[in-house]
Amino acid sequence: MVEVIQQIINGVAIGGVYVLIALGLTTVFGILGIAHFAHGSISMFGGYLTFFFVTGWGFTLLLAILVSLIVGLILGFLVELLAYRPVRNASHINAFIVALGLTMMVEGLNLEFFGHEQIVIPTNLSRVFNIGGVTIPELRLYVILAAALLIIAMTLFVEKTKTGQAIRAVAENRDAAILMGVNVNTIPLVVFSISTALGVCAGVMVGSLFAIAPGIGEGLVVKGFAVLILGGLGSIPGAVVGGLVLGITEALAAGFISSAYKDVIAFVVMIGVLLFRPQGLMGKE
Amino acid sequence: MTLNRTFVFYALALVGFILLPQLIAVKYYLHLSILALIWVIAAQGQNLIQGYTGYVSIVQAGFMGIGAYSTALMGIHFNMPVWLSITLAPFVTAFFALLTGYPSLRVKGHYFAIVTLAFNMVIFIVLMNFHQLTQGEAGITGIPKPGGREGLLNWRDRETYYYFVLIIAVLTTILAALIVRSRVGQTLVAIRQNEGLVGAIGIAAWKYKLFAFVISAMFGGLAGAVYAHYQSFINPEIFGVAQSLDAILAVIVGGSGTISGPVIGAFFVVFLPEYLRFADSFRLILYGLVLVLATIFMPRGIVGVTSDLVSKWQSRKK
Amino acid sequence: MRLTAITAAFALTATAALAADKTLDIGVSDALTGGGAVYGLPQANAVHLAAKEINAAGGIKIGDDMYTLNVIAYDDKANPTEASNAVRKLIDRDGVKYILGFCCSGATGAVASFIENEDAVMLVGNAAERSITTREISNLTRTRPPADYTGAAAGTFVAEKGHKRVAVLGALDVGFYASYVDAFEKELNKAGGKIVSREAFGLKDRDMSPQLTKIRGQEPDAILVVGYVEPAAFIYRQSVELGIDVPRYGFTSGSEEQFLRVATSEQMEGVWDLRPTELTLLSASDNGKAYHANYSAEFGIAPSPSSPYAYDQTYALKDAIEAAGTVEDTAAVAAALRELSVPDEVVMQYLPVDGKMFDENGQAYTSNGAFQWQSGNWVFVQDLPSDAAAYSAFLSTID
Repeated sequence: MVEVIQQIINGVAIGGVYVLIALGLTTVFGILGIAHFAHGSISMFGGYLTFFFVTGWGFTLLLAILVSLIVGLILGFLVELLAYRPVRNASHINAFIVALGLTMMVEGLNLEFFGHEQIVIPTNLSRVFNIGGVTIPELRLYVILAAALLIIAMTLFVEKTKTGQAIRAVAENRDAAILMGVNVNTIPLVVFSISTALGVCAGVMVGSLFAIAPGIGEGLVVKGFAVLILGGLGSIPGAVVGGLVLGITEALAAGFISSAYKDVIAFVVMIGVLLFRPQGLMGKE
Repeated sequence: MTLNRTFVFYALALVGFILLPQLIAVKYYLHLSILALIWVIAAQGQNLIQGYTGYVSIVQAGFMGIGAYSTALMGIHFNMPVWLSITLAPFVTAFFALLTGYPSLRVKGHYFAIVTLAFNMVIFIVLMNFHQLTQGEAGITGIPKPGGREGLLNWRDRETYYYFVLIIAVLTTILAALIVRSRVGQTLVAIRQNEGLVGAIGIAAWKYKLFAFVISAMFGGLAGAVYAHYQSFINPEIFGVAQSLDAILAVIVGGSGTISGPVIGAFFVVFLPEYLRFADSFRLILYGLVLVLATIFMPRGIVGVTSDLVSKWQSRKK
Repeated sequence: MRLTAITAAFALTATAALAADKTLDIGVSDALTGGGAVYGLPQANAVHLAAKEINAAGGIKIGDDMYTLNVIAYDDKANPTEASNAVRKLIDRDGVKYILGFCCSGATGAVASFIENEDAVMLVGNAAERSITTREISNLTRTRPPADYTGAAAGTFVAEKGHKRVAVLGALDVGFYASYVDAFEKELNKAGGKIVSREAFGLKDRDMSPQLTKIRGQEPDAILVVGYVEPAAFIYRQSVELGIDVPRYGFTSGSEEQFLRVATSEQMEGVWDLRPTELTLLSASDNGKAYHANYSAEFGIAPSPSSPYAYDQTYALKDAIEAAGTVEDTAAVAAALRELSVPDEVVMQYLPVDGKMFDENGQAYTSNGAFQWQSGNWVFVQDLPSDAAAYSAFLSTID
């Protein structure tokens, strides 16, 4: 029994990261219809940047995260304006290929600026809590809490604020939204900025709890899309449920079945969902 | 008149390719040309599903891997002669393409691309982990050439292999052209332009999409098989997602939805890294930048730009 | 009179010109970028360093000619296709006959599959896949011993410590790591112990808590970690976080710095690394210390523990060329390599077979050592029981 609970706890932390990545993806995909494949690499850039601020410029962790968030917001802004807006009215394939191209560019920039060895954001949090045989390191707990807070903040933003409602309006019916006076040129900028900010948070979590290295971003974004498909496009609760389910399933499978094919689970889940319930667990028909 | 001009153009190109080995001084570039021709086969396949049908698939390298491993393993386990295993490899690939295509084609656009990418990763992981069959990361060595040093042709000579691959590349290009010009091809283009309308007319679009997907995979499998017998060594490393992205790049840069586009794109993808002998990070950045800029400014690729220039020049003559 | 003087002067200058400095281009094919660069780039640097030293001492002497070494290095990105391209470029375009480096097995295997037909000599470094030296390729040698040679020694060591139930967590999809574990298991079984589970992880994995939780439930009396340093560091840390308290043995290599990025020194305390006696500063020979100092001065960073495989390769090549008396005849140089005794300048501690550095398969053997993390440093504790001659005989029986 202890083992099962331990595995679930193991899975929740990485599940939280998956949720954040999926949230960043679902906002862009659901509202703008763009498969922002570069999200993983950009999120890792955020993590790399935080690492750099802490170790290179001596910032405290919180200051480094704050500055990285601001950089992330600006970066999201630029990505929308320079890369995706020019192909907004062309076929969807073009946006996808732009996304692929962006991914390569960001991976290349990360490699160029931060090197090929892995980096870990130092946090000095090394206590471990032991509750009845189930161990949970302090850092993991904070990551889970932070993810939960971000999810709540995101939900509140989308439900309660004017901008959030405007975003939802654009998602439901773009033309009607224009008629109602919503500025459809600023909405994509806002959406991308939010998405990138969420990505930076995910990057910081991955960088402090695990490590950031070339290629990790791509792996995460594919899992992010798996969560998207599992949870249902455009659904925040779907992303949350999907991310946790994926993280916990991976941990349980690695623990009780086989660790060799752990990564395959995400793909099998994706394919299975598409075969039997393409709208996802919580998506609309 | 236009038909003749196109024909002349292709004939000249063909002559150019035939003469290529004689014109190359340094053997190394012949090696690259062989690789480029192999990529032509793969790119023609990619073009069928991406350029003509409008479904960007990210799994061509995975199918190349299936083709390569099929031919290698059939040779080892069944003692099959090379010509037979190369011929059968695309059909083995077709089988897997059916398995993967069926669920993938239930969704469109981005979803489709992501699912195919997932399949590519599954193929890669299986190739890496299924040691008993594939020998994992160590790969399979000693894959034989289609013939020995004796016999009619000297297979040890790189030139022989070049002509062998050239013939296959030409045949597959002709096959692609035939498909595209047929009723099937027109339906595929219609699907790309307006899939809903195609369905509304009563055509079962999914059959055509599956056909395009499977044929494109078979081209990939053939390319992989030819590669295996050229290099004599294969391992999962080169059949991953990064190489599938190369296939997409080849189609986009060369000219999506044209027959000569993939040929140009394939040579671009193989030769460009040679001229970018910077650190890997620059190559990645440059590649990415090319993709982004090409999609924004040159969505019809080199072929598109060229034909635009040609028609401008023609209209100026009038 | 004057004519004779002039002719004599001419003749003298002519002979001097004939015996003048020549250049020998040697090639390096290695992972200079990408995931394998942690192993490949230091090797390339090591070859550059050795070449510089050799040139400073006059170069390679054949008859009256002195050859200065010129190193041409290409990046194979640890990718088989790139490696094949790199080597073909070296041979076809640059006219190089001697190719060194080769850190990574996949890429090396690709080149090994065609090098026999080329007019070249291939000197393999860090690549650990056994099959590279079982194919009887006469123009190929390798300085690093295959992983299972070390695995067997490690198994004997761990068995002698009294462990009966060992849990393995390894990068088992990689051939040479799996072969290390197999050889380890064989020796462990002989002593009555057994491996209670084999869990896997990949190069990109960073969270091995699920696997470790499973292992924790099995209550082994020791853990064996086999794989790349970057994820392995996480395994050591997460094992402590999960409260696992049994001795940890590993086959990962990796500098102190690479581990401390991820885990604290306390979390690493007591971890063993059972591997070839590669370069560790605290236990290096005089050559090793000098190499460490020179490399650090030249490149501004400490050498990686496995980089000397390439440094030693270069000196072996020099000795072989001088012994064969030719730079043109690659077959002669390849044969000379097989007859070589261990050069004086090498850093690794080789165990000669029949008095020679390379056995009949072209394989060299270093001693294997047990290293332990003590207060922030890898400390050499003792030699692992290894039998190079027996393994060499075994290697010859495999195809």
